[in-house]
Amino acid sequence: MITQLLTSIAQGVGLTLYVTGASLLFGGLIGLVLVGAARSPIAIIRAAATLYINVVRVIPPITWLFLIYFGLPQYALRLSTLQAAIIGFSIIASAFMAEIYRSGLLSIPDGQREAAHALGLSPFTTVGHIITPQAFRVALPAIATYGIGLLKDSALASTIGVREITYYAQQSAKQTHEGLLSFVVAGALYIIISLVVALVARRVDLKLRRKIGVL
Amino acid sequence: MGLSFGTKAPPTALSGEVEVSGLGKKYGVIEVLKDVNISMAEGEVVSVIGPSGAGKSTFLRCLNYLEKPSSGTIAIGGARVVAGEKLPDKASLDHLRRVTGMVFQSFNLFPHLTVMENITLPQRKVLGSSKEQAEEVANQLLKRVGLPEKAKAYPARLSGGQQQRIAIARALALSPKVMLFDEPTSALDPEIGLEVLAVMRDLADEGMTMLVVTHEMHFARDVSERIMVMGNGGVLEIGPSRQVMSEPQNDRTRQFLKAVLDR
Amino acid sequence: MDLITQWLGWMPNLTPGLVISLQLTGLALLIGFPFGLLLAVMAEAKFKPFQWISFAFVEIGRGLPALVLLYLLYFSLPDAGITLTSLTTAIIALSWNTGAYASEYFRAGLAAVPLGQKEAAITSGLSGWTGFRIVILPQALRISTPPLAGLAVLVFQGSALAFVIAVPELMSKAFEIGSITFEYLSVYTLTAVIYGTLTLIFLGLVRILELRLGRHLLRN
Ligand SMILES: Nc1ncnc2c1ncn2[C@@H]1O[C@H](COP(=O)(O)OP(=O)(O)O)[C@@H](O)[C@H]1O
Ligand SMILES: [Mg+2]
Repeated sequence: MITQLLTSIAQGVGLTLYVTGASLLFGGLIGLVLVGAARSPIAIIRAAATLYINVVRVIPPITWLFLIYFGLPQYALRLSTLQAAIIGFSIIASAFMAEIYRSGLLSIPDGQREAAHALGLSPFTTVGHIITPQAFRVALPAIATYGIGLLKDSALASTIGVREITYYAQQSAKQTHEGLLSFVVAGALYIIISLVVALVARRVDLKLRRKIGVL
Repeated sequence: MGLSFGTKAPPTALSGEVEVSGLGKKYGVIEVLKDVNISMAEGEVVSVIGPSGAGKSTFLRCLNYLEKPSSGTIAIGGARVVAGEKLPDKASLDHLRRVTGMVFQSFNLFPHLTVMENITLPQRKVLGSSKEQAEEVANQLLKRVGLPEKAKAYPARLSGGQQQRIAIARALALSPKVMLFDEPTSALDPEIGLEVLAVMRDLADEGMTMLVVTHEMHFARDVSERIMVMGNGGVLEIGPSRQVMSEPQNDRTRQFLKAVLDR
Repeated sequence: MDLITQWLGWMPNLTPGLVISLQLTGLALLIGFPFGLLLAVMAEAKFKPFQWISFAFVEIGRGLPALVLLYLLYFSLPDAGITLTSLTTAIIALSWNTGAYASEYFRAGLAAVPLGQKEAAITSGLSGWTGFRIVILPQALRISTPPLAGLAVLVFQGSALAFVIAVPELMSKAFEIGSITFEYLSVYTLTAVIYGTLTLIFLGLVRILELRLGRHLLRN
């Protein structure tokens, strides 16, 4: 029984990882733009970035998904369930990633920027080669933690019909009447994936630390 | 050296307000306290000095079981506990803690309570005093430590010296028989420390039995009857204050005193 | 039709849903916070089985997606012969989830109270439960309050999940309106505005609370 359940529910692992990974990637990229905008010299751009980040965060993820999946087609924007989920989670992730980057940037001492400036490095080089790598180092554990949070949030994609872990668990629960077992299996899968992500992140973190020589 | 105050005559009869024998403490295999013995008469003040890491704090904290000693017996003000594998029964432990008051280097006032509450709360919970009784006692103690106007203040609003004087008042509120002080002025600027030492001196003059871990050599010499010198977890020597200060018997005491007094 | 009139027209249908969302949130906090404190105290207990029980509840409550926890209870409790309403099931799931996260904040708060406070409590005769209750706990709670208030905001957002097991809360009501009028974009935008506004108001209250709590602990 349990192997049957496992094989059927595990079919969802692929899409769970896909939704999480793609959203983290797109969200991460949009987040970069957002921190940039939040530090723009133009006040209106700064304000827009801050507004975006706050608006995204005060609305529940499931509301975002429904707004996008059910709302946008009204304007002839037909989206597949998967597209809607990835768009929704990318928007959500972008706001959180922007915050993570921001605190990463804040942890870089002013001296770094000043030193780069004194060496005559262009602002572009300074950001690209001096600030960003250091900020990323600092932000890595927070990104991993957020990634695990996003993994768990991705379960919501089942509510609009994306065939990921929770979707299959629900199908199994209805078909086999093994409700408890189905969701225990699903829960175990989420926990295993979280643990793997956490372990990998720790490894990378330690490696980077050792490379730079801070412990 | 500064002013000297008249010292009380050394106690003759051992009324045994404090009787500690064979006190030892191990952390795993490391022995941080070895066979410490001391008896103190009622009203006696003993200063405990010695280099950092000597075991002074551990000694003091074993007396009221903030640390569990590994061996020995402790008798203070009628309470008596024999150290063993297990903790002593709750009644003996409570008794031991009732007869001792403690003042810490870091004051440890309760930051979420006002000065008045810091002093009245223990009375109300431990002695079952009424609010009025407790406040009456607190007001007297606040006068005694020179801070009657601070009753309503929160600890964070007070200077370190004021906080420590309040901490003394809090400990006194439960009418302990013996007061234990663990470097009460070490966290304070020297001139601020003086206001705390003055309160302690008054307390000694009023006949409180006190055991004081300190680096204040004036206090050790002028206020305490005896000095106990600790080193490496043991008692290097113990004797009348002036004698220990002027003619130390032990080489390591001599080195320590030289290092301290040359500073 | 004018958007505002449309929205105003929907409000009578949405408001009962919002009331249920708020009730669900309130109950989840009312049950979840004390539960979290209990889990935190059990985690620090000397008695090992307490630690294990606490560990299990916390890891399940935090490790599983809230949605999976909700389904798990919803699909398995009836099999175990326990029939509860959807709302009760949602309250249990959300309280568990809340308690698991809250326990971490309580533990952090308890750990942040300096050891000297416990020692001063003991030497002031306030040992055991009394000392914990009047010396340690108030200080720990004060430290834990800002993150707990932040958690409360997330619990409000999490209450939207109850939609999936047909609790008639705000999201359900919005869905109802959407499936009748096909004005999905408009009704979910209104829903987002309601969640967003209440969240902002709540965050504002949290700020005020933080400032007030910190006041007398500040040096002048
Ligand atoms: N919890 C502990 N575990 C192991 N060793 C300890 C512990 N606490 C204190 N010690 C050791 O016991 C010795 C005595 O410490 P302490 O009583 O604090 O010395 P003092 O107060 O004279 O400076 C020190 O060497 C210290 O490192
Ligand atoms: Mg010490």
